[in-house]
Amino acid sequence: MNIIVLVKQVPDTESLLEVDTANATVNTQNVKWIINPYDEYAIEEALQIKEAKGAGSVTVVAVGPDRSEQALRTALAMGADTAVLVNDAAAEGSDALGIAKVLAGVIKEMPYDLVIAGVRAVDDDGYQVPAAVAEYLELPLVTAVIKQELGEGKITCHQLVEGGSLVVEAPLPMLFTAQKGLNEPRYASLPNIMKAKKKPLEKKRLADIGLDAALVGTGSAKVAISALALPPERKGGKMVTGDTPEALAAELVRLLKEEAEVL
Amino acid sequence: MAQVIADRRDVEFVLHEQLNVGDLSQHEKYAEFNKKTIDMVIKEARNLAIKEILPTLKEGDEQGVKFENGQVTTPESFKRAYELLCEGEWTALPEDPEWGGGGMPRSVALAAGDYFNGANYGFMMYAGLTHGAALLVEHFGTEAQKQTYLRKMYTGVWGGTMLLTEPEAGSDVGALTTTAVKNDDGTYSITGSKIFISSGEHDLCENIIHPVLARIEGAPAGTKGISLFLVPKFRVNPDGSLGEFNDVVCTGVEEKMGLHSNATCSLTLGGKGKCIGTLLGEENKGMRAMFLMMNEARLLVGLQGFGCASSSYMNAINYARERVQGRHLLKMMDHSAPSVPIIQHPDVRRMLITMKAYVEGMRSLLYYTGYLSDLITTSDSDEEKAKYQGMIDLLIPICKGYVTDRCWDVCSLGVQVYGGYGYIKEYPQEQLLRDSRILMIYEGTNGIQAMDLLGRKLGFNKGKPIMDLMGEIQKTLVQAKEFESLQPMAASVEAALNKLGEVAMHLGGKAMSPEVLTAFAYAHPFLEVSGDVVLSWLLLWRATVAARKLEKGAKKKDQAFYEGQIKSAEYFTQSVLPVSQGKMRSILAANAAAIEISEDAFGGK
Repeated sequence: MNIIVLVKQVPDTESLLEVDTANATVNTQNVKWIINPYDEYAIEEALQIKEAKGAGSVTVVAVGPDRSEQALRTALAMGADTAVLVNDAAAEGSDALGIAKVLAGVIKEMPYDLVIAGVRAVDDDGYQVPAAVAEYLELPLVTAVIKQELGEGKITCHQLVEGGSLVVEAPLPMLFTAQKGLNEPRYASLPNIMKAKKKPLEKKRLADIGLDAALVGTGSAKVAISALALPPERKGGKMVTGDTPEALAAELVRLLKEEAEVL
Repeated sequence: MAQVIADRRDVEFVLHEQLNVGDLSQHEKYAEFNKKTIDMVIKEARNLAIKEILPTLKEGDEQGVKFENGQVTTPESFKRAYELLCEGEWTALPEDPEWGGGGMPRSVALAAGDYFNGANYGFMMYAGLTHGAALLVEHFGTEAQKQTYLRKMYTGVWGGTMLLTEPEAGSDVGALTTTAVKNDDGTYSITGSKIFISSGEHDLCENIIHPVLARIEGAPAGTKGISLFLVPKFRVNPDGSLGEFNDVVCTGVEEKMGLHSNATCSLTLGGKGKCIGTLLGEENKGMRAMFLMMNEARLLVGLQGFGCASSSYMNAINYARERVQGRHLLKMMDHSAPSVPIIQHPDVRRMLITMKAYVEGMRSLLYYTGYLSDLITTSDSDEEKAKYQGMIDLLIPICKGYVTDRCWDVCSLGVQVYGGYGYIKEYPQEQLLRDSRILMIYEGTNGIQAMDLLGRKLGFNKGKPIMDLMGEIQKTLVQAKEFESLQPMAASVEAALNKLGEVAMHLGGKAMSPEVLTAFAYAHPFLEVSGDVVLSWLLLWRATVAARKLEKGAKKKDQAFYEGQIKSAEYFTQSVLPVSQGKMRSILAANAAAIEISEDAFGGK
């Protein structure tokens, strides 16, 4: 079974984020980068499926600049077999649909039975890329999967929905997105780290996958970020004063109405 | 979010900008370890340390180890962490891959160990002692012993210890009474009692292999009659499976001031006459074998202390940035002035820069000492190899004695920065201080380290190692003086170095005179000033690298870091070295009060 995992490199949640207000973007100069944590669930699930089958391969695919190679190497160190990075300046500034076009363009050239992605990326929380990839590849899509059972030519997924889980079945090939709870991602072992750098990591440009540069990048993006700001700094709390519970309650209601303006 | 355990920029700086360890990959032995791979190894070590080992620190302290019916139970959270450590093969980083090691340069292994030990050295000690014991097997074992034990130990499947101390034989190892009687099949029956055995009994491994110092019947008295034996907790069948219990009985664990998560055991060997060991190395050469391993063990102890100090500093700097209390000193009289983060108070800054300078200097010292081993490995010249080995031998008492003394100071400042909260268990500072106290005692007390430096290392090979070290320091001085801004710092280091040379000659001479006792009463102060000078050198070296980068136009994100390097060197050379100069004057004066005072005059009777 050949499995493809979509990987995105995102800022480490430990990083101190600064907003570049002029360009409505995040200033990435001081940022350390990691694999999107939800993609780690996807990678782990792919590895577990491969290990259970005792055959097949796991390929990790990313779109991004040079630094994205680190994320792919980490995925290889976890145990993935091969990696593909589409690194093309023309793809920079793509919105979710643009990225999905690139990913779909790479994947359709490769043999696969299953595509797995993280349910969302922790940087811009869009939830859109995997769904769009499925659409472009005309694959069934199941999102937010917390458990799956592979059958003959089909897969049964337990999908997390509000208040419970939904069990759905889809034929292969298909794409599902990994939600927290699906598994516990492994750590890269020292021997696998050493092996990772010898595993194939193929770099491609848009031309290599026959994708017209005009269809992706800033120019074709349907979504534009107009402004970006950090949440306002939390101010100190306010102690409500009063002699009786009644007076305290009255003062609280007044403050909620007049100052917080939430009532 | 703030960093924990160690500042990763600083770890990268020492590896790649001070020591350039990536260059070791030009040698075939380390060809696999280019900069990218090293970074990946460190990143994943850090990841595991922060996510899985650090969370065991507090629980390990609170739960401690439980002793019942001869069995020791480690803290609950240790099992999973230990499994992950072994699964990832992080247990024998620099050793031969043929036997399950990671094959990496020692300097890189130390950087990974920086994170692991800083996360919880009490936990790491279970694996760390195994590593040390396995090294003995690798160096002195027969092919059969290696086949039986080595891989299982390097991969953490079996544990390892070091059985040296007895109730009447601690610092005086030669007094030990554990005996070995040769059996017809060539094995030995071992009988005796050992105490203070770290990781001596626990539930993380299916078997524990004890290297044991014992005296063969009829052997000479003292250290010349001591042999080394391998004694497993469970005997090992020829096929490698576990056989019967080998009569190594844990009779208790110590209640300690800190390091609660590591079992400090009393062991009775052969209480029922059924403890069998095999000779490791040659008869009566046990102490020599121990000495060969001592550098490794003492460097590890330095790293354990350093882990506590680095963690304590990271916590303190984060706390000082966030904790708001008191008005700014310049606005003391203005009651409407807001309270400020305590990092703005001069005395807090004094503590923080002290911690920073020592932590950075010690990180460089430990990695550098590991790096000297790497240079031995990659050098083709016997002369060079001997030079590096001499420098390692010289630096080891500083890496152990000086470093753990200073780590205690740093951890104490780490408590102080927190104020009252530093003393209570809600924060990790008090644990780090408690845990770091034993390091000044075990693996040769710091008094013994000082005697080792003065009595053994200083005059070794006619003083060549210390001359070699001074030569290295001179090189840095020349480079530092190229920068006008560093010249006052270089002058301080140079003056201190010259004074240290004078002190070394003087004290070395005294140690071979009738005033030998007075000389040794100054062994520890001599260790302190030697450490100060070495640290000032390493900090000046760092500052020189930083000045060069700033001159070339460092990236914005690196500027503050490099400026911080120069400030550490400035602080140390201008505020610490003058005190060292005073200490050196007192050593030169060598007042004999400590020796001349009569025992009665100590009072208290």
